[in-house]
Amino acid sequence: MKLEKGELSSTQLMFLVAGFIQGSLLTLSFSKEVVKHDIWIAAIASFLLNLPLAFVYLTLALKFPGQNLIQINDNIFGPYLGKLVSLQYICLFFMIIAANLWFVGDFIITFFMPETPILVVMIMFTFICAWAVRAGIEVFARMSFLLVLMTSLTALITFALLLKDTKFSYFLPIFEVPIYDFLHGTHILMAIPFNEVFVFTMVIPYVNKLKQVKSSVLYGLIIGGITFLIVVIRNTAVLGPISNIVTSPSMETVRLIDIGKIISRLEAIVAIAFLVTMFLKVAVFYYATVLGIAQLLKLRSYVPLVIPIGILGIIIALSYESSIQFIYTATNTYPIFSLPFYVVLPVLSLLIAKLRKLPKQKERKAQ
Amino acid sequence: MKRQRIRSSIREYSRLVIICSILILGTTGCWNRRELPDLAIVVGVGLDKVEDEEVTDKLELTAQIVKTSEMKSGNKGGGNSEAYWNAKNTGNSIFATIRGFTHQASRKLYWPHNQVIIFGRDLAKKGIQEYLDFFVRDQETRLGVWILVADDKASEILEVRPSLEKTPAISLDHLLEAQVATSQTSAIKLNEFVNRLLSKTTAPIAAMVKISSQGSEKSLLVTGTAVFKADKLIGELNITETLGLLWIINEVKSGIIDVECPESNGKVSLEIIRAKSKVTPEIIENKVHFKVEIEEESNIGSQSCSDNLEHLDAIEKLEEAQIAAIESEVRAALSKAKRLNADVFGFGDILHQKLPSEWKEMESMWDEVFPTIEVEVSVDTNVRRSGSSRKAVGQKEE
Repeated sequence: MKLEKGELSSTQLMFLVAGFIQGSLLTLSFSKEVVKHDIWIAAIASFLLNLPLAFVYLTLALKFPGQNLIQINDNIFGPYLGKLVSLQYICLFFMIIAANLWFVGDFIITFFMPETPILVVMIMFTFICAWAVRAGIEVFARMSFLLVLMTSLTALITFALLLKDTKFSYFLPIFEVPIYDFLHGTHILMAIPFNEVFVFTMVIPYVNKLKQVKSSVLYGLIIGGITFLIVVIRNTAVLGPISNIVTSPSMETVRLIDIGKIISRLEAIVAIAFLVTMFLKVAVFYYATVLGIAQLLKLRSYVPLVIPIGILGIIIALSYESSIQFIYTATNTYPIFSLPFYVVLPVLSLLIAKLRKLPKQKERKAQ
Repeated sequence: MKRQRIRSSIREYSRLVIICSILILGTTGCWNRRELPDLAIVVGVGLDKVEDEEVTDKLELTAQIVKTSEMKSGNKGGGNSEAYWNAKNTGNSIFATIRGFTHQASRKLYWPHNQVIIFGRDLAKKGIQEYLDFFVRDQETRLGVWILVADDKASEILEVRPSLEKTPAISLDHLLEAQVATSQTSAIKLNEFVNRLLSKTTAPIAAMVKISSQGSEKSLLVTGTAVFKADKLIGELNITETLGLLWIINEVKSGIIDVECPESNGKVSLEIIRAKSKVTPEIIENKVHFKVEIEEESNIGSQSCSDNLEHLDAIEKLEEAQIAAIESEVRAALSKAKRLNADVFGFGDILHQKLPSEWKEMESMWDEVFPTIEVEVSVDTNVRRSGSSRKAVGQKEE
């Protein structure tokens, strides 16, 4: 029984990972508040710190070829404990969907349609994601190249248009932030988005050439990381200290583009470019959630789950009370909350797999 | 079989059409639909203190709204009708005052095209931070808007009918953009103003706008710099001091320097074509020293005497005179800023950026330190070209 019939090529996986990372460009402001103008160091640090963890995730996924996270958990923790661990992961992915839905709604309402109910924005966004997930991983993985191209080009072009407004003295003094705040900011950036790459343990089994998985995930991370760095440097160099007090530094930065009164007011294009990769990110989590539930409940197909999970996601998203509460959760609660999922459990799983000498030879033959 | 295939393709297409139409309906954002005829487009805003003695701390807000029907290029000069309307409202807080306009304007104010924010002198003296917050926070307003301080009342500035542009606010926008050619005022936008306000030491600056009247003809004059301490207006710099300030903060793009002719009476006007400055802090024997290095290039723009400038000695003399002129401007700005005890140059921030550990000791007492700092000015200039004539027009053959 195979729930997913599609197959990914390694290039598609690379762009999917890159788009997945770029999907968090708008949430950069969480960390910005904490580390101020040293955010570029935090971005590099979180990227580098994430690499060993990504290596752990990949080793775990490749140890059990053709098995996704749910099956791996069954193998490592046994059928009962494994199911419990899987259930927790599914809940985490589901909560991330809800948080992202709220973020998209909040963003659109803050900047473009202040009087529209947040529900409308959420429904539209969920609808697109649900459509993509129903079509299968192969479909939106194939799309990812175009979306990543769009976001990367937008980041580069806006940087070029703003070069005349940049002031690199805003980066001085380098590393002024207290070490505790720096760790905090780096941790936020690790939790959103670099560690989230863990969700790809649900996708990797469907890549056709397993040998190239490691390099394509790495390249994807590098593309995403470079886009991050470009955007972070652009925002700080153009805005300066004011970027620490605005809601979305990226939006305020591109609002300042004014080339001869003709090329100006580009923020809508930029917002769209950043939201399409956000769509990619939510779609991957969405896919992981429904696939996980279907596997847990031994369903024949995950398609009937797509719409109900979307509706539930919207309902959970609506339970956020305010953007202030949301940002507080994202900066203070969530990074700590996600530690066991992204650091403790994966490392533990790998250790147990090593100790129990999994996968057993017999199982490997059965694959 | 065939019929079945057709039917399934019809079903597929109709599904696509339905989905597409749902998506299209959603993208217009029905709740926030606002058509052009329903908008009152604000191009400039003036904030004043109400002069009524009995009601204290009340804000008078003047919003300059364009009349879109009068903006058409066809009826230029025809009739007395102005292309703008200055709506006024008073209130206690800025947001309430702005919302209050719905009582008198038939349309809701629309802010994205706002070009200037003008503060009246009295209001600026009392502090403007509470009014700036709205312009940063609201989603319609933008950070790329000019900040100005009126010599008297802001509402009067917005009433001066410009002779070239259609509305005073747009005329001010063009004026400030043209300031690059003379460097006589500190044209500053909201984001930079807020950056200076957020800094612990740097004093915010803004351009000053005055009304100059020649007979019955009134026109706007943007000249000089308003100096704030925290968010309160404390003084202003005249043209010379402003130029000195701009030299230090590396904002001089162009301008004219008049120097004496080397041999006879008269002036040579030098046009600045390139200028660059660099400030480096140093701490010598527990005293803060700043080194300001200015590099400048200029062309000869005009000469009123008939000296021959076409030899090396004359050029050298011009350069020396130019150095002296720039230095005196910088000195004037420095002494004025020290007298006001306002760090308009951002020296505190430069110290913070370059010598962070020394800065920590000085941070809290910068107000005492700033008037005592020593500034070393070194200017390097080059007169590059002489334009399309090489000798003076009136020069006799020798």
